[in-house]
Amino acid sequence: MNRRSDAWLAYFMIFPVVAAVLAFVLGPTWDVATLSLTQFVMGQERGFGTLANFRALWADPIFPTVVRNTVIWILGGTLFCVVTGLAVGTFLAIDSKMTTALRALILLPWVLPDVVTAMAWKWMLHGQVGVIGDAFTRTGLTEKPISFLGDPNLVMWMLVVVLVWRKMPLVALILCAAIRSVPAEQIEASRMDGANARQRFRHVILPNIAFSLTAVTVISMIWITAEFTLPWVMTGGGPANASQIMSTYIYQQSFTFFNWGVGSAMSVVNLGFLICVVGLYLYVNRRSWAAGGSK
Amino acid sequence: MGSVALREIRKSYGAVEVLHGIDLDVADGEFVVLVGPSGCGKSTLLRSLAGLETISGGEISIDGASIVHLPPKSRDIAMVFQNYALYPHMNVAENMGFALKMAKVSKPEIDAKVRKAAEILSLTPLLERYPKQLSGGQRQRVAMGRAIVRDPKVFLFDEPLSNLDAALRVQMRAEIKELHQRLGTTIVYVTHDQIEAMTMADKIVVMKDGHVEQIGAPLELYDCPANRFVAGFIGSPAMNFIPARVQNGQALLADGTALAPAPAGLAEGLAFVAGVRPEHLMVTEQGAAATVTLVEPTGAEIQFVVDLAGTSVLVSTRDRVNLRHGDRVSLAVEPGRLHAFDTETGQRLG
Repeated sequence: MNRRSDAWLAYFMIFPVVAAVLAFVLGPTWDVATLSLTQFVMGQERGFGTLANFRALWADPIFPTVVRNTVIWILGGTLFCVVTGLAVGTFLAIDSKMTTALRALILLPWVLPDVVTAMAWKWMLHGQVGVIGDAFTRTGLTEKPISFLGDPNLVMWMLVVVLVWRKMPLVALILCAAIRSVPAEQIEASRMDGANARQRFRHVILPNIAFSLTAVTVISMIWITAEFTLPWVMTGGGPANASQIMSTYIYQQSFTFFNWGVGSAMSVVNLGFLICVVGLYLYVNRRSWAAGGSK
Repeated sequence: MGSVALREIRKSYGAVEVLHGIDLDVADGEFVVLVGPSGCGKSTLLRSLAGLETISGGEISIDGASIVHLPPKSRDIAMVFQNYALYPHMNVAENMGFALKMAKVSKPEIDAKVRKAAEILSLTPLLERYPKQLSGGQRQRVAMGRAIVRDPKVFLFDEPLSNLDAALRVQMRAEIKELHQRLGTTIVYVTHDQIEAMTMADKIVVMKDGHVEQIGAPLELYDCPANRFVAGFIGSPAMNFIPARVQNGQALLADGTALAPAPAGLAEGLAFVAGVRPEHLMVTEQGAAATVTLVEPTGAEIQFVVDLAGTSVLVSTRDRVNLRHGDRVSLAVEPGRLHAFDTETGQRLG
């Protein structure tokens, strides 16, 4: 085989993947981008090349709430996911019989279907019949059950709690693996150098897992941005749009109200945000990529 | 000051005991090498001394004060690891100053100490570099610098040269020895390479299966090995072992040829294992007859394998002997260079 036919074989082999990416990623993205610049009235196309959808979005009184909720959802969710994940991962990295068992058990929230998680938590947090509110009243913490998902000031944070419960285990496992791969000799050297546990974590473990930590942060952020089932099934954006976030609002606008133009305009904003996140990630890790993934 | 005393050191992992009561004294300023095959417990012993392993029994003291219950950082010991264990995210200066930073030493003082250590190790131009930008030998020097800045009572080295290529190993060997002469600090050094042990040590501790086989100066071990294991381990190429018995004061081989006078004090008729180093066998006019089976000239010397009374024996000579496969030679042992070991226990008989 000569070099040229090798090249053709290579193109042939990657063709299915390229075709799939074109058909299912770039195609829809292009459609959404063009849709966002097309005006719709009652589901009918009324002219391309207008920013009317974006202006409508800007003028929408609910949109600021959606942005605020999305910030809580994405930034709060990511922050709590990574911080608790790091704490749990550090604990799981300790060698003992208990942690070995826990390392397997902790994945349980992760293997449950999204809808099951959402329904289970929805009922557990229910204002009248939820076990959590009931437990609070029985132990005397509150006088009457709290309506966790009915309180507009609380609902967004409750969603974040459930999100962390669901997404944190994998973050914890990835960070646990990263911590366990820190060379033992470096830890021992730092012990000889007189570093206590906190200093070892700060000066040896954290710098060694920095790559995994940034990767897992960005990946969580992307997961959380794309997460739709949890908030939609648990609250549907309510009460009164108090838990409406980008993904649920896009769905509602597009498929409940058939405002495809506004929906796709919001998708474009969302996409822009994701591009920024990934760009930041690539920038932060630019040296690591060049060095083959390790610092 | 930094004299170390180990008394009855025992270490078990569960039911398995890996150190069976080790006793060792290291005088202040002494260079002691622990040597033995892998799995003999030498690294475990060193790590116990460092405080990275807890011992199951025994007593460790430095300058007479017990350190068994002290954490590693309080033992005033610095260690150089096999894989250097440099912190990849810190440059050379930060790596070397880390222990001082942890000890809350002031910044100017850290700088001064790091610069001084860097000068000793000729690392000054590399202070701003990161470990991955350094060669193996340079990393090794940084690891030593990290130990030096702390000015400890005892330096521990855990197989520090085994990741280096042969030429660099010889160079670093000389550098470490020179450093020891310059600083005069007590060093406990672990290696599996007997040449490293022979060339560097004031005192060698030969270990096997968690026991100390022999402690002594390098040439003492070479000239007077306490048992067959030490005899075979120290010296390169390794000592030949030939079954023999005593008859008329001669060491007689299996086929009845006399090899050399038997060491004094061996009973008539006693069967023993004769040990002869390859460099102590000479080609002579008259002696034990042997057949050459392999010739390997190395340049400085010629090594050849002969069949001597059914045993394969290596001979090494600096003479330009002209031998070929199948030649008959007669061999003699340099006077007083025949070692005798018990056939059962391997202990030295004479």
